[in-house]
Amino acid sequence: MKIFTNIQLAATIALTHMRSRLKQTIIATVGVIFGITMFVFMVSMIQGINDFLRNIAFEQSPHLRLYNEIQAASGTILDKVKSQAINIVDHSKPKNVSLALKDGKQVIQLLQDDPRVLAVSGSIKAQVFYRLGSSTINGTINGIVFENENALFNLQAKLLEGSFHELATTPNSIVMGVNLAKRLNVKTGDQLLLTTEKGNNFYVTVAGIFKTGMSDIDKQESYASLNTVQRFMEVPAAHITDIKIKLHDMEQAPAFCQELQTKYGFQGSDWRQDNATIVDGDSFRNFMVYGVSITILLVAGFGTFNILTMMIYEKMKDIAILKAMGFSNGDIRRIFLIQAIIIGTIGALLGLVFGFLATYGISQMPYKSDVMITMDHFPVNYSIVYYISGFSFGIITTTLAGYLPSRKASRLDPITILRG
Amino acid sequence: MNLIEVRNINKYFQQPAKMQVLSDVSFDIEKGKLISITGKSGSGKSTLLYLLSTMDTDFEGSIRINQDEMKGKSNPWLADFRNHHIGFVFQFHYLLPEFTVLKNVMLPALKLAKYSREETEHHAIDLLKLLGVEDQAHKRASLLSGGQQQRVAIARALINEPLIIMGDEPTGNLDSYNSAVVFDLFKKLSAEKGQTVLMVTHDEDIAGRSDQTIHLVDGKIDHAN
Ligand SMILES: Nc1ncnc2c1ncn2[C@@H]1O[C@H](COP(=O)(O)OP(=O)(O)OP(=O)(O)O)[C@@H](O)[C@H]1O
Ligand SMILES: [Mg+2]
Repeated sequence: MKIFTNIQLAATIALTHMRSRLKQTIIATVGVIFGITMFVFMVSMIQGINDFLRNIAFEQSPHLRLYNEIQAASGTILDKVKSQAINIVDHSKPKNVSLALKDGKQVIQLLQDDPRVLAVSGSIKAQVFYRLGSSTINGTINGIVFENENALFNLQAKLLEGSFHELATTPNSIVMGVNLAKRLNVKTGDQLLLTTEKGNNFYVTVAGIFKTGMSDIDKQESYASLNTVQRFMEVPAAHITDIKIKLHDMEQAPAFCQELQTKYGFQGSDWRQDNATIVDGDSFRNFMVYGVSITILLVAGFGTFNILTMMIYEKMKDIAILKAMGFSNGDIRRIFLIQAIIIGTIGALLGLVFGFLATYGISQMPYKSDVMITMDHFPVNYSIVYYISGFSFGIITTTLAGYLPSRKASRLDPITILRG
Repeated sequence: MNLIEVRNINKYFQQPAKMQVLSDVSFDIEKGKLISITGKSGSGKSTLLYLLSTMDTDFEGSIRINQDEMKGKSNPWLADFRNHHIGFVFQFHYLLPEFTVLKNVMLPALKLAKYSREETEHHAIDLLKLLGVEDQAHKRASLLSGGQQQRVAIARALINEPLIIMGDEPTGNLDSYNSAVVFDLFKKLSAEKGQTVLMVTHDEDIAGRSDQTIHLVDGKIDHAN
């Protein structure tokens, strides 16, 4: 009860002090507002961009992939035959592994029934040359079953012109990346020549053009039906080289990937490994945001520190008179801490409001990107976490900034001051 | 019964050079008396009063007020003690300039939190009336004249009905009429309410009319008086 009246009294004195120094108080508050606004705005914007980039990348990459890879042989045949001797084999060649996934179709069947799996698609991937006139471009062709692949990567949304459905109906038709089409100078309906690794040539028709926003894909990849590519490669209909899987919970990918690798003996990789640069970039960007914001907040805290220190020099006589009346050192400290907390609270709250408004403002700004077709406005993230941490930061920095001056005020010796 | 017992006080200032301001000061003060502290300028009157006010805790010797030893008490304890038992009027500085006159007078009582806000306000107005400054109640304190401020400061010292009222030349800024008003008030409070008044004064007349005089000469009590 007594502590409550003490705090209340300290608060009225604090408010009177602040009113008498309104201009400086406002300046200190504006400093805090600015700091919190910038914090909320920058975090929301950078996180928005992060999310957007992740989405593009993750839309293009499955949660996990299974494939085969040509590897250096482990051990030599000589070791097997003469296991007692010391064998030296120089420069052994990589083992001739078929890139085909053994029993791939059956594995896909099994995966489709797995409750953890959302969607699965088997495909064949091959290196080819695209030729038109004198230009020859090295690239990749993916043989897919459109419905399955679309369930994973939402291909339909990336189509600029033409149609994916023609892949299944028109023989020797492909849908190619927008930059690849530009380099070859072809559009939907045009014909060009495709050369496989074995040297076979096929005439193909462009059935459509897509754009993912990932330039690596857009400048060298194309899609055709699974059968078409198998025919080009002269492999049987069971031959697939990639199984791509989307899970209900992407965090399960690494463990699930491990499980499938040991079960089927394929190579595997999950989204974390495939997108290591993006995952790393995230933490780096976050680090920058927090670094800059904390710097701004420190400057704001310094403003609060300044005004309170000034206030204390001006109010030295008041402090002495209050002490003579029976205010303890703790009461005096409270008076100045309350001022800091009021500045911090008002500054932080208004900072959140302005931060939200700035974020909203930029999210409404039309923004057309060449690279990212799916983006028409600036991407932002309104996570409540930024507002909570912004508010806490604001209060904590101003309270810390108020602590030193208030301690100083509480330690002032009233006698020296009152002597005049 | 002695309200205040001072025993063998020595007070030194270290700055700029070590110098003794009070030497071996001892005296007793009874409850309900009006006491004057006199002496030449620089003889140590203010220094002694600040020690008795419990705000200056740096001394040798013993000060007992109302049976309590002041030496070695914590800051919150002393603050609370002052709030309850001591009303102080300073030599030069009186009021908190940004607060109204009324709020200035009320503050010690609000801190004490013994009476409601309304009761405190009534009490404060009554005191301002007694000292002839009730018409200034709602003005900002910084706008008052020196004499008016000093009278408001006296009202503030009285609001908690302290055991001891201390003043460092509390009438120093007042004309002879108001000086007499204040002195009569102090006399009345000590006689009727049993409050003890302890004041530094240069006024021979006032010193002569008080119950007891403590005369300082170079930091020592002059017993010849
Ligand atoms: N903080 C201090 N540091 C050093 N010396 C001091 C300090 N305060 C007071 N003194 C010295 O102590 C002595 C007593 O001072 P004090 O203020 O008690 O005198 P006083 O009797 O109240 O005088 P006056 O009638 O002029 O108010 C003086 O010589 C003064 O210079
Ligand atoms: Mg003096």
